[in-house]
Amino acid sequence: MKKNVTLSVYEIVGVSLCVASDDGQKVYERIASTLKEDRSVTVSFLNVSSVTSAFLNAAIGQLYGTFSEDQIRSKLKVKDMQPDDLALLKRVVETAKQYFKDPKRFNRAVKEAIEDGGDARKR
Amino acid sequence: MKIHLPEIQHNEDGFEALVRLFSKTEECLFDDIEIDMGGAGWFDADMCAPFGALLYKLSDRINTVELTKIPPAVTQILSKNGFLSNYGREKLPDTFGTTIPYMRFDAKDDRYFAGYIEDEFVRRSEMPRMSRGLTKKFRESVFEIFSNAVIHSQTKLGIFSCGQYFPKRNRLDFAVADLGIGIRQNVLDNTDLDLKAHEAIAWATDGQNTTKRGQIPGGLGLKLLREFISLNGGRIQIVSDSGYWALERDKVTMREIKYKFPGTVVSIEIDTADKRSYKLSSEISEKDIF
Repeated sequence: MKKNVTLSVYEIVGVSLCVASDDGQKVYERIASTLKEDRSVTVSFLNVSSVTSAFLNAAIGQLYGTFSEDQIRSKLKVKDMQPDDLALLKRVVETAKQYFKDPKRFNRAVKEAIEDGGDARKR
Repeated sequence: MKIHLPEIQHNEDGFEALVRLFSKTEECLFDDIEIDMGGAGWFDADMCAPFGALLYKLSDRINTVELTKIPPAVTQILSKNGFLSNYGREKLPDTFGTTIPYMRFDAKDDRYFAGYIEDEFVRRSEMPRMSRGLTKKFRESVFEIFSNAVIHSQTKLGIFSCGQYFPKRNRLDFAVADLGIGIRQNVLDNTDLDLKAHEAIAWATDGQNTTKRGQIPGGLGLKLLREFISLNGGRIQIVSDSGYWALERDKVTMREIKYKFPGTVVSIEIDTADKRSYKLSSEISEKDIF
């Protein structure tokens, strides 16, 4: 059985203020690499003091363009998040699900992912 | 060329005066532009963000901009916040510690902007002792405003910010201005909706609307800001292209203004005495997120 992975957002980003979309992208790449290996992943927000929707959209919302809702629900967990940040993440997730329900957006996202190389490990 | 600037409060009239000034100068190239501020008996410090953005755009066209006859009280505050350092004046120490300095950032400067907010606001002892919940909400709101400018504006000339705290009035003003494509153009480019400028701002602050189209979803930033300001009892004003939009005490005002701002300005005022905890009435479980 494949080992579960725990990712530290603070370790990936390097600061407690997780506000930039580019930093969210780094988190997305680690999560995506792990999910592609069919491993479960827990994302820890320990020592993160602020998040924005821009960061969370890039880090986690973006996953819904690459993976199914079932895959994400069964393989992804978060922990150590402050309650209001959890609430924001919930909104980001719901918005992302709606966003990718638009077939044009979904197909464009898949196309862009393929053009980017498709393999987050390349970065 | 000589232009007269009246008093600049952070309201419709103030924004109108700034865009009127820009409309008279936007075609200038390699010109000398004197802005006579003799009539500017009052200048709300956070308006340095849009004013500075416009002057930067004029300078980018190799115009020499001179600010003259600035009343002493206005000179003092605009020297303390560093704005006039760009126009030949020395920076004065901020003895009362109530300014959030005028700064220009590039779109790649997210972390630098975050550090500036932490250093100039959160960590300074002179700044208002806001509740923990309010401090977090304010901090995240300004980050959302900056992120919006980074993600949507396509600005090449930068993002400008400035703020001011009024201890006796329990009020904190903060504004961010960019020199990007504006909300109306962004909506048109990404949705085929050809809206008037103020309608485009209203569209952007509403519900699930977003101009995001790529791999990264979005569209929450302005909605979150709107919700926070509504709860706080403060005010937001957004000026973009020829549109003006404001929310105060749950009432929205919007209209077309006569001239265009070449980008977007988001200005917020918050009540620093707000003791609301901003805690959720019911907690969400980590198990219910996905």
